[in-house]
Amino acid sequence: MMKQIALYGKGGIGKSTTSANLSAALSEQGCDILQIGCDPKRDSTRMLMHGRLIPTVMDLVRERGDRSLTLNEVVYEGYHGVRCVEAGGPEPGVGCAGRGIIATFQILEKLGALHADVVVYDVLGDVVCGGFAMPMREGYAEEVYLVTSGELMSLYAANNICKAISRLSSRARSRCRLAGVICNAKNLPREEELVSEFAEKIGSTMIQFIPRDQVVQNAELNKRTVVEYAPASRQAEVYRSLARQILNNRRLDIPIPLEMDDLEALAYGYLRE
Amino acid sequence: MIWKHWPMDISGNEGCTLTGALSVTTEVANSITLIHGPAGCAHHNVSLLQAVHLARDRISMPRIRSTDLKEEEIIFGGENALEEAIRETTRMGPDLICVLSTCVTGTIGDDVGGVCGGDWGIPVLALENAGFLGGGFYSGSLQALISLAGLCNPAAGNGTVNLIGEKSLEYEVEEQYLETKRLLALMGVGVNIRFVRHTSLPEIRRMGEASLNVLRDPGISALGSHLQARLSIPYLDSFPVGMEGTLRFLEKAGDYLDLDSSRAIKTERTHQRKILSKFSQLKGKRIRLDPSLLAPNDREGAFELLDALDMALDPQGFRVPVPDPFPVGTSGLLRLLHRWRRFAHA
Repeated sequence: MMKQIALYGKGGIGKSTTSANLSAALSEQGCDILQIGCDPKRDSTRMLMHGRLIPTVMDLVRERGDRSLTLNEVVYEGYHGVRCVEAGGPEPGVGCAGRGIIATFQILEKLGALHADVVVYDVLGDVVCGGFAMPMREGYAEEVYLVTSGELMSLYAANNICKAISRLSSRARSRCRLAGVICNAKNLPREEELVSEFAEKIGSTMIQFIPRDQVVQNAELNKRTVVEYAPASRQAEVYRSLARQILNNRRLDIPIPLEMDDLEALAYGYLRE
Repeated sequence: MIWKHWPMDISGNEGCTLTGALSVTTEVANSITLIHGPAGCAHHNVSLLQAVHLARDRISMPRIRSTDLKEEEIIFGGENALEEAIRETTRMGPDLICVLSTCVTGTIGDDVGGVCGGDWGIPVLALENAGFLGGGFYSGSLQALISLAGLCNPAAGNGTVNLIGEKSLEYEVEEQYLETKRLLALMGVGVNIRFVRHTSLPEIRRMGEASLNVLRDPGISALGSHLQARLSIPYLDSFPVGMEGTLRFLEKAGDYLDLDSSRAIKTERTHQRKILSKFSQLKGKRIRLDPSLLAPNDREGAFELLDALDMALDPQGFRVPVPDPFPVGTSGLLRLLHRWRRFAHA
């Protein structure tokens, strides 16, 4: 059965790094993977593509219109056979990036691109409009993973995304649920406990703690995922563990977003010391 | 921003600002109106305007073009399409281009004002009243009139009058105009410009030369005040309505223009009496009309006629029509009485 997952979280928190390493690890574990970058910045799949910025669906539409597009022009094979797609979008400051995501999904449907053992949607940091909630809609990702660190602003963004999930899951036919929280650590004191408690407070669970490690930077500078660049490293093992967790995860929750005061109190309790 | 929402019955509502703005901009002679949005926004309005024009035996199509946006322009932004459309439209040789924004271009944040502000060789007016921002037909037309008024400059008054905000879609628009013109002529006062009805850009630029503005109705008083502040031209807030109202109109216009209106009033009163005498068959008739549907000025105009002809209101009486807007001046009453006589089988 096809599994469709989406990673959401604050901008810059490491969604793309996590997604790319997750896809690489899943692929090594024998899964056929499709990773779709849903951010106009188009850098979700760069490490999987060894530094290459692949043409985005929206680039192609802008140049040629959507009539003559073929599957080969939008899907690119990267590390270990992971298939990569970048939605792309308008130039910064004009047009409507959200509509671009919707159009991309329609084109991918039309081309029959959306099939794999696991489809990984790597989505823009904030669900600013309906377009960026597209991966959560009926027929797409049924499992949403929140990527967050222990920083307040990162938890705040994750909490906001919970609002989108809980609102969407109230629709009768929606099957979109929160599947878990991934802590991409910033090396804060007691960060694992904090994010773990946050996950429980919103009615979910922390499925993986990813420690901060210099090897991530090193891999990135070498235009590789950690899984490919340093397969024997502890960090690579963490990503492989994340992949196993996600493959075996059966937990799906409708999250209960926290009030701002509660969220602040939670973070304060940990950071005071 | 609206937080509570429920489906509304739009029949009593006044529609889209776009239609209101178009009812004004398409009246500027040798101008072209460009609707920045999907073709449908233009199509609906062209159809409506053309249907209304045909009903008034006006054959010409309103000069409206569309930037014809599709999904691609919505995603990547419509400013280039707008620039191209303006460039192409200038080649058609208009004196003026009016650009109207629509819901979708307002939503994606196209900088319509910025694009229009380029050096196009002719004035290109941006009217950014995307429909979903609220308001209806009247606020759209008011906004268009205020924008167009920006094209003229203050000047010394020459004793003439501007007619402001004629309702280009109303049934008897030319009759209302001719009647107001006739009444002003009784005092030797001429019309400077009609703002806006078949009016050219050079004429609009001369708007400041009038000494008095006469608004079509009090609904556009905000425009009257705006023009007074900008051009130092005082205003009367309505075309003449009703018998007494028509005489008062002459008196007030005379006061503003520093003219003796007494002879004109006397002439008009005699004219009114002569007309009433032609409808003696209506005397004593029992009629019914719904006064709650009428604006205060119009109600006064209708009740005045009832009194003058000794007619009585009676829920069982003959139903007579009272058009909205109420017909202008004494000629308007003449047309109304003809209809009443028919309805009352008199």
